[in-house]
Amino acid sequence: MILPVRASTCLPAALCLLASCGLAAGDEPKPKPENTISVQLAEPVAAQKFENSPKFWISEVTDRSGNPQPMMVLKERGGIFVDRLPTVIVRNALEQSLKASNLLATDANTADLVMRLYVFQFGLAEGSQLDFFGKVEFTAIVKNPKTGESKEVKASGTSIGQGAVRKKNIQKNVQDSVEASLKDAMRNFLRGQQLKEAVAELRKGTEAAPAATAAP
Amino acid sequence: MRICTGLLISAVLLATVSTAAKEKTVTPPYKTAEAKHFTQAEGVELTPSFEDYFYAELRAQLKKANMASDVIGEGESVDDADAARSIVITGTITEYKKGSVVKNALIGFGAGLRSLKMDADVKRRSDNENLYVLHVHVKIDPKWDEKVMAKFAADQLVKEMKNEVKTQGK
Repeated sequence: MILPVRASTCLPAALCLLASCGLAAGDEPKPKPENTISVQLAEPVAAQKFENSPKFWISEVTDRSGNPQPMMVLKERGGIFVDRLPTVIVRNALEQSLKASNLLATDANTADLVMRLYVFQFGLAEGSQLDFFGKVEFTAIVKNPKTGESKEVKASGTSIGQGAVRKKNIQKNVQDSVEASLKDAMRNFLRGQQLKEAVAELRKGTEAAPAATAAP
Repeated sequence: MRICTGLLISAVLLATVSTAAKEKTVTPPYKTAEAKHFTQAEGVELTPSFEDYFYAELRAQLKKANMASDVIGEGESVDDADAARSIVITGTITEYKKGSVVKNALIGFGAGLRSLKMDADVKRRSDNENLYVLHVHVKIDPKWDEKVMAKFAADQLVKEMKNEVKTQGK
């Protein structure tokens, strides 16, 4: 008599569990036009002033975030996706800012310094659940192609965006937060002491080389 | 009587408008402010994401409180002309107690609360002179996320900074 009662209790529970698992698997968010945002710099970031203003070239941008879905910024509420890969977004933002400051070379051959970027984080990081914590983190290997010497420059940008309840507002606030953190990272890189020191050190080698050859 | 009331209302309105205008046009006390990632004292076990979040929250609060014309990121260079009116905020998280949900539920009256203590030094950028030291102690419910604690700590730190600027201004 006990067994059928137990079975009748367990069976609906098991069915419910299976159904919820199936729903969860089917609910994996997919990029659609209505849940895709475009992240870009509203205006280029002005770089610091360098001595003899060198020309930069971005050779390659690699994703090192280890994120299997790099374009998905938020998983909850149907997901939010960016329209381009984070590596493309970072590259475009940096090129835009370098161009505006007249520091972008026309091609790799004419560049004084060549940069290789590694993107470690792009999008939202774990926040307080009351807001959106935007974070962009990348490292640039700045290389002088003439001497072969290189230096590492780190940059990071953060932003705290307002929390929201409505899906439309969530999308807007996430976009604002990621854009603000991208701008902050660009600013941190282009106006950072690390880049200034790296450029000074790498350029020193180039300026000293012709002098050394001219001496004899 | 009517004229008197009208005059009184218009005077009050004018006063509020003028104070609001004054508040809006207040120039920030510093030219630039740079917040650094706070270090953790020995024995403090907080996740690295807490440090990152606190750093971001502190910068957001500094902007919100209009403490500086420009809140710059860690390691950014500042013009020599602005260095004398620029500050660098460094600090250490000296104590962190996880708290206890059981104690909080059974005893109450502040028992078992999650607590965080930190000391911050505000230095002038040009000569590295220590302008003032801030002590922050935050207590929150043990069920709340540690990032909420970071939010409260950043808020309190900036409030104390504001008070210091006010007292030094007098």
